[in-house]
Amino acid sequence: MIPLRRLPSLTKSVRLYMIFGIALACLAALASFGLLFLSGWLLAGAAVAGISGVAAQQAFNILLPATGVRFFAMLRILSRYGEKLITHDGALRVMGQLRSWCYHCLAPQAPAGLHNRRGGDLLSRFVTDTDLIGQHYTSTLLPYIRAVVCGSLFVLIMAIFSPQAALCLATGLLFSGLILPYITGLIADRLAVTLTTLHSQNRTDLADLIAATGEYLAPAATRHLHIQFTEKQLKLNRSHRLMAATESAARGLTTLCTTVTSLAVLLVATNSFHKNYLSLPEVPMLVLGCLTAFDIITPLPAARQLLSRTKLAAQRLYDACMTPPLVAAPIHPVHPDNADFLEISNLSFRYPGSEQWIFRHASLNIQKGERVALIGPSGTGKSSLIQILFRFYPFEAGSCHLGEHDICDMQSETLAEKISVAPQNFHLFNGTVRDNMLLASPQATEADIMQALQTAGLTDWLNNTPHGLETAVGNEGFQISGGQARRLCLAQILLRKTPWLILDEPTEGLDAETEKTVLTNLIQARPDMTLICITHRRSVLPFMTRAIQIRNGQFHPAEEI
Amino acid sequence: MQATQQQTGSYLKDLTRRARTWLMLSAATSSIACILFILQLCALAALVDNLTFKGQPLDTSVTDCIIILALSVSSFIFQWLADMTGKEGGLHISASVQRDALIHLTKAGPAGCAKQPAGQLITTMTEAAEALEPYFSQYIPRAVMMVVLPIVILGIVFHFDIWSFVILACTGPLIPFFMVLVGYSAQSIMDRQWTQLVLMGSSFLDSLRGLMTLRLNGQTTNSITRLERQTEAHRHATFSVMRVAFLTSATLEFFASLSVAMVAVIFGSRLLAGTADFRSAFIVLVLAPEYFIPLRNFSSSYHARQNAMAAAKQLQTLFTLPEYAVARQSASEPVSSAAPVTMLKLNDISASYEKALILKQISAEIRKGQLTAVSGESGSGKTTLLYTLMGFLPLRSGSVAAYDAGGAQHPLTEENIAWVPQRPLMAFGSIADNLRLGAPEATDDDLKNATRQAGIFDFIMTLPEGFNTQAGERGARLSGGQIRRLSLARALLRNPDILCLDEPTANLDPDTADTIIEMLKSCAKTRIVLVATHDQKLISAAQQVLHINENGSLSALTEKAVA
Repeated sequence: MIPLRRLPSLTKSVRLYMIFGIALACLAALASFGLLFLSGWLLAGAAVAGISGVAAQQAFNILLPATGVRFFAMLRILSRYGEKLITHDGALRVMGQLRSWCYHCLAPQAPAGLHNRRGGDLLSRFVTDTDLIGQHYTSTLLPYIRAVVCGSLFVLIMAIFSPQAALCLATGLLFSGLILPYITGLIADRLAVTLTTLHSQNRTDLADLIAATGEYLAPAATRHLHIQFTEKQLKLNRSHRLMAATESAARGLTTLCTTVTSLAVLLVATNSFHKNYLSLPEVPMLVLGCLTAFDIITPLPAARQLLSRTKLAAQRLYDACMTPPLVAAPIHPVHPDNADFLEISNLSFRYPGSEQWIFRHASLNIQKGERVALIGPSGTGKSSLIQILFRFYPFEAGSCHLGEHDICDMQSETLAEKISVAPQNFHLFNGTVRDNMLLASPQATEADIMQALQTAGLTDWLNNTPHGLETAVGNEGFQISGGQARRLCLAQILLRKTPWLILDEPTEGLDAETEKTVLTNLIQARPDMTLICITHRRSVLPFMTRAIQIRNGQFHPAEEI
Repeated sequence: MQATQQQTGSYLKDLTRRARTWLMLSAATSSIACILFILQLCALAALVDNLTFKGQPLDTSVTDCIIILALSVSSFIFQWLADMTGKEGGLHISASVQRDALIHLTKAGPAGCAKQPAGQLITTMTEAAEALEPYFSQYIPRAVMMVVLPIVILGIVFHFDIWSFVILACTGPLIPFFMVLVGYSAQSIMDRQWTQLVLMGSSFLDSLRGLMTLRLNGQTTNSITRLERQTEAHRHATFSVMRVAFLTSATLEFFASLSVAMVAVIFGSRLLAGTADFRSAFIVLVLAPEYFIPLRNFSSSYHARQNAMAAAKQLQTLFTLPEYAVARQSASEPVSSAAPVTMLKLNDISASYEKALILKQISAEIRKGQLTAVSGESGSGKTTLLYTLMGFLPLRSGSVAAYDAGGAQHPLTEENIAWVPQRPLMAFGSIADNLRLGAPEATDDDLKNATRQAGIFDFIMTLPEGFNTQAGERGARLSGGQIRRLSLARALLRNPDILCLDEPTANLDPDTADTIIEMLKSCAKTRIVLVATHDQKLISAAQQVLHINENGSLSALTEKAVA
């Protein structure tokens, strides 16, 4: 429960929404109660008058209770509709706020914090978790508050007529509303943990299995994995079954409680009636009221089960969001006005948790206007340089200056004003080409965009597609080819017009002809730029002024140029 | 390849048959539970009447109370059984779908599986298969209940009072009618916007995936506003759909409330006039709300149905993956005792994925002791040729025969041929786990030998935990070249007679590529090694080159003297 409370509290407008939704839900429950309560009295009262002769018949005013019955019926319809709309909208609002908060917390951790944690697709879990917590207010809080508010009111209304009947109702409501959900909760808390673990194991197993199918490993291995998967599946189903069994039993016991309480109310009320404390029509009225009162208790066990899952989700989300980023933001950030050189001296770096040095006392100086190729065997840290420059990972020793300033004193936003990076594992957003261009540089004009796309060699393609700039790139850019995606990423970088450019394997997936055109265009369009090009393709080298090789964790001038 | 709404519907119906017994049991027990519940309500109403109007003394009502309690307890037991059998049916179906999907993936083989990203396959098999469960365990039994319970209640009401029977009988069928009317428009709005909603709903995931790119672009702050805008748009769109969708339940609510009110008011007037008796009135009043409850339950499982339809659509896409893999016999005797295959003979083989032939009548002999390269433009069928040898793709015509050194023919079995794909996957687990995927019984010495041959042993030893180092999610901590070499070691661990590799030097820097080429040359001394490549260096290192033309025929078979 602690993490749920520690998550950001709702803003005022959303809180008002939730209160309004809960109020409507209570109103609907009260209307429902009123409808049957009054109907019971109406029928019994009319029947008593009916058999008591003409005078009583005329004295009985049926008009008022009949109007009341219709009023409650209409009230129930309207409040239920309103409740559904308001609470759903409220849940979506909560979810939106939660997502923004979560995103806000996760942003400084990327990519280091979003990587390499056990349990399959970490990112899609954030989505499920925020969904679950977003629903918390409507699916758990609302039924509980409604049960407390309406339950007390029902007991109070009953108490006006018969304190003993009210006592019976109170006992029944308390038992089924507190003890049953409590026991359900005990079991559900334990099961929820088991289910989550099994689920993530299931996903990883399946990933193994599909990989095995893809690589066509020894059939014995595949069969072994199949059997393992089936066993896990059986285990998972056992937990599912147990969860369903408790939920169903709790629901059934609530119904049983209703019957017992109604019988008790009936006996108590009849007793009072015999002693003339109650009139005859009030007996069926109280019984019917008791039957309806339990409608507010029925959803509680299921709500409690949901709470177990929500608590886990909140814990996970809280842990993930509250993890401090690997590199803290600078306390006194500087804004450099010149970026004439990049000076790396005595740099030592290894990934957290790894013994292997990526850089060991490495030094490098790049002056403004140079075009440097960074080459070296795979795994030597060519791409790690980007992660270090942008402070995604901390380095252990040495220093790194851009112009006069230490990069440790710069925010990544400030650095991004000077350096653009086209990473190897770039991400295109699910939107149009224009959306993606504007994401890189929100202030760019139409002409700027076209210019950048022209340099990246995409103009021909865009002119030949029916939607031009409005062409959808699809999820992860799957709707366009790999080569187009890479060039689109290059165009994004060009749009930002920073003095420094770092390109990681910019021509991967392009044929020799296109590669040449793109590089020529690039140099023509930005003759003043300082370029660092990480590559393993020799064909790139003629376009560069210098080549640096990374060997044994250090920068060495390469002989090949 | 998208299945239509009708196809998906009939697919769900087919699935229902798999757990027919469970679901029918569930419907039956649930009906019994409901009838018992109705009887209990009737008994309670009768007792109320007896104790008040009929003046039955309190002390004689013990038996009545016991009967009511007994009915309530048995109704509870039957309802529990109904829920559990329903759940069982749902679980049975989702488990069987998962198993089918696994079997289908095996039949599709790598050539078939490649048509969908692995992540999508996993999501389909876990989330989609599980989304089916609530549909079958709730929706189907509830659909049965929607027919049974109202009819039973109508029968009882008919017995007690004809007027109320008329009210209920008229409003009852009106509800499905109006729900269909309103529901149709809601459904069509939902269908129209569903894809859009799903797309907007997934923007959070998209933003998370792109966080690094956004940080590199210095756009984190902007992207937070963007995310807020997107969720707001999603909320608006959902709200407009919900407004209509909730009308369905409001219609139901309207008729339910109105019917109860009408029954009460009409009965009230008649009771006042003395033309009706309280017992029937009270029983009818107690039963009237129950008449509408199955309808409400049913309409609340609408989401389960919507989810199940979406899930079924995803599953259908999975099942459309073509079954390319050729069933191969396992070796009848242990591989070690059989003479190793030393020569492969391709006789006029042709192969295709759909209609157009990718490979046309290719004949060649591939021998042990020489590195054989398959070259050709991309898309000409290099990989396809390897696929046919591996049995990932059936032959259209021609044959592949394997011979040992003595000239005796052997069948190609799953054991004597191994494969290193272009993008090998390091599954989650330690490096040793990953290597043993191919040969679960391999000893530590076997691992050392295989990794030495693949030239990755020294690297593994530099890792703090050696072979027990976690390979990381999707092998994230390993570089492309390291993963390639580990995959090669994994293949070598099985000691295959024939080793096929797809683009083993792609995306590697020249030094790493050179070492891989050297390794392949030494591997070729002891087994048949076949590589598909466009790397000029690798082609020149090979002793035999099969060049495949763009039309899929073999244009050249260059053989060099074995050094």
